[in-house]
Amino acid sequence: MSQQILADRVGVTRQTIIAIEKDKYSPSLEVAFKIANIFKVPLGEVFNYG
Amino acid sequence: MNFSFKEKGLIASLVITLLVFGSYFFQVFANLQVTPSEQNGFGDLIGLVILVVILEAIIHAFLASQYSTEIEDERDKLIQRMSYRNSYWFLIIGIWVLLIQFLATGSGVWFDFNYLAIFTSAYGLAHLLLLLFVLAEVINFITQLYYYRKGI
Repeated sequence: MSQQILADRVGVTRQTIIAIEKDKYSPSLEVAFKIANIFKVPLGEVFNYG
Repeated sequence: MNFSFKEKGLIASLVITLLVFGSYFFQVFANLQVTPSEQNGFGDLIGLVILVVILEAIIHAFLASQYSTEIEDERDKLIQRMSYRNSYWFLIIGIWVLLIQFLATGSGVWFDFNYLAIFTSAYGLAHLLLLLFVLAEVINFITQLYYYRKGI
């Protein structure tokens, strides 16, 4: 899945997806859950803390 | 170095603000000893504000035509909030420094404005306040660019 398609499905810009991937932005819970739901995996598999 | 739609817009706004208001303030503050009757008043300023609005509209319309799919999301709004907070603090501190300085001009607290006739007039004070507003806006643009580059 391309960054643009993921961004469109989540409702954010491609720049925000890039920033999340590079660990330059911590998304809101809403966006984090949307990303996890799109990949059909638990939240903890996509994001971790610490 | 790749710049996003938002970053290009911010750089354009920053350059326009620095060029237009920079030349204006250079002209105003370079003639500090001019008496109030010889000053241009605020006629030039209204023209400059209209010029900035027109230039911004043209550049942002051009950028929008190049990046038609760009939207504003939660990251953009967070960066805007953080940058406005920075410029707000700069403005508040600047106004307090100016206020205290003017209240204590007689005792010459930090700067001796008595040497600079322009600062003791309403014309001069208005321009100092305007300079603070413009600098606050410049800080807003620069901190937004910083957060887009370095992350938040």
